[in-house]
Amino acid sequence: MKIFIFHLMPYANLDMSYAEKYRAAWVVLPNTYFDPKKGHELYNRYLDELELAAELGFDGISVNEHHQNAYGLMPSPVVTASALSRRTKSARIAILGNAFCLREHPLTLAEEHAMIDCITGGRLITGMVRGIGAEYFSLGVNPAYSHARFQEAHDLVVEAWTKPGPFSFEGNFYHFDYVNLWPRPYQQPHPPIWAPSTGSTETIEWAAHPSRKYVYLQAYSPTQSVARYLNYYRECAQRMYGYTASSDQVGWSTPVYVSDTDEKAREEAKPHIEILFNRLLRLPFEMLFPPGYLSAKSLKNMRSHKRSVSGQEHTIDTLINQGIIVCGSPDTVRRQFTETHRLLGFQNLLCLLQFGTLPRDLTEKNIRLFAREVMPALQTLSDKEYAGMQVQAAE
Amino acid sequence: LQHSEIDIRGCKLNLRRGGRSEPLLFLHGAQGLNGHEPGLAALAENFAVIAPDHPGFGKSDLASSVEDIGDLALFYLDLLDALALEKVHLVGQCIGGWLALEIAIRNTGRIKSLVLVNSAGLRLKGIPRADMFACSEDELLRLLFATKGGTEWLQSWRASPDLEDLYDRNRAAAARYSWSPRLCNPKLDRWLHRIDVPTHIVWGDAERIIPPAYATALKDRITGATLATILDCAHMPHVEQPQAFAGEIAKFIRSAAR
Repeated sequence: MKIFIFHLMPYANLDMSYAEKYRAAWVVLPNTYFDPKKGHELYNRYLDELELAAELGFDGISVNEHHQNAYGLMPSPVVTASALSRRTKSARIAILGNAFCLREHPLTLAEEHAMIDCITGGRLITGMVRGIGAEYFSLGVNPAYSHARFQEAHDLVVEAWTKPGPFSFEGNFYHFDYVNLWPRPYQQPHPPIWAPSTGSTETIEWAAHPSRKYVYLQAYSPTQSVARYLNYYRECAQRMYGYTASSDQVGWSTPVYVSDTDEKAREEAKPHIEILFNRLLRLPFEMLFPPGYLSAKSLKNMRSHKRSVSGQEHTIDTLINQGIIVCGSPDTVRRQFTETHRLLGFQNLLCLLQFGTLPRDLTEKNIRLFAREVMPALQTLSDKEYAGMQVQAAE
Repeated sequence: LQHSEIDIRGCKLNLRRGGRSEPLLFLHGAQGLNGHEPGLAALAENFAVIAPDHPGFGKSDLASSVEDIGDLALFYLDLLDALALEKVHLVGQCIGGWLALEIAIRNTGRIKSLVLVNSAGLRLKGIPRADMFACSEDELLRLLFATKGGTEWLQSWRASPDLEDLYDRNRAAAARYSWSPRLCNPKLDRWLHRIDVPTHIVWGDAERIIPPAYATALKDRITGATLATILDCAHMPHVEQPQAFAGEIAKFIRSAAR
């Protein structure tokens, strides 16, 4: 199994009493809450944390994109990935993801990814995402065309990376007379493409298509949903497309906290993980799912789900019990991942080892402990330990 | 009003029709129509009302070739041809008003008069329109209605799972045509001189989505336009003040447009 560290780079210095005045840490939260001096410290600290993980033997380090919010300070993950590319030597650098379709000109991102791939000698992984609903408010892009634009931006970028230029691209959203990328990406035919999502059958069907076979990465979900969606990917490959998906094509992304004992882990992580879920992720339904962003069917599902959970705040206990986060002693955490891997067989694991307000010292301790006590055992896991869907169904 | 269907180049459009005398085409707003619009019945007392669901709204097909408000305007010029009515009174509310403006700057050949009710479409710099898409249902209700009439209207969308689905479908269709820039075409302003039919502007006195400055601006920019205000009314006169809404339109058409 390949182990990645993942960072959101939250604005940990946020005055959390903002919640009394504003209904979201996104879109409408005034940027006067952001202090650039604190931002300077945070960016450099967070980059240190990712560089430390690379030194400690993580297979990859990963960043992502969000706009106009306190939850994640990376409107351009290309900037953070670039900063990391010369400070690391062998770790993969994964941008999970970049929202190409939010750009009026996705080719600028395609160029930047090709540059990073050349600079790092082919260590880049490109994640392609639609961006969350709030981003469609922040950047003014029409959510009703989100799916179509995502696919067209993808096609444009892959063509630009693989097809000899110059050529013209004549799409519905994008029209370019001259597509002729300099540089071309280092990896041939192009950097691996991953599709991170919080659960979308449309995305899975698209990613699993034999012409793509992109890694599907399930993020922020209870164990049940991780199982449902990762299994759906394999089923899709088998039943819709007639091939057996490799376990390298699926991944799971989750917050992780390790400490000496289960109790200590829970106690140390509690305030910081609760800030992440209850304050930094605070986003009303209508901003998370603007009209047209989800298919009619998915929106209906979300609405009924919302009615069943509305008003609930997360606690570390609910998060652990549902499997949304993995928290405990090295033994507990190792066992939990090994067991989940036995059932689901994912060969990619993304660990969010800094979350919310988790401070520098605890983050570093978490990264080191995970790298020393948990990671080596997980890195040896392969399909040999994967019991497969049939076994799971039988259980 | 009775439902019927018309096929416009492969797009099945759901129409409500009722009443008699001169034809009046009502273009609905971002909220769509669900039958809880007493203003349409009131209009049908004096006119032959035709109220379609725009493509992608209600029970009308989504038309892949109709992607923005400009496409929609041309689509409705096709509809006017297909209906084979010599002239219609064109009434539009919210984005329906915007649509009526986009139709009228292209071709007024089949338009006898124009009524713009709490109309979107213009952009006045420094006077923002409220964001209907960002607010919660409660907040939306406070924006749409000045009185308690809104609660009943919202309940009418909850009457069945089908209507709930249509409510979401309408929001998605509204976003399709009006997301960016929100509820306006910044270039519309340049072409309003082309409107050469009698025009009346009707605005709820408590309107908060399209501020009253927009009513005045439309009056100033459209030759000969007149302006009337409806009391105790926000964005939805055809729901909130149906008699005043229909009365105002009938009065205008009797005096100016015959």
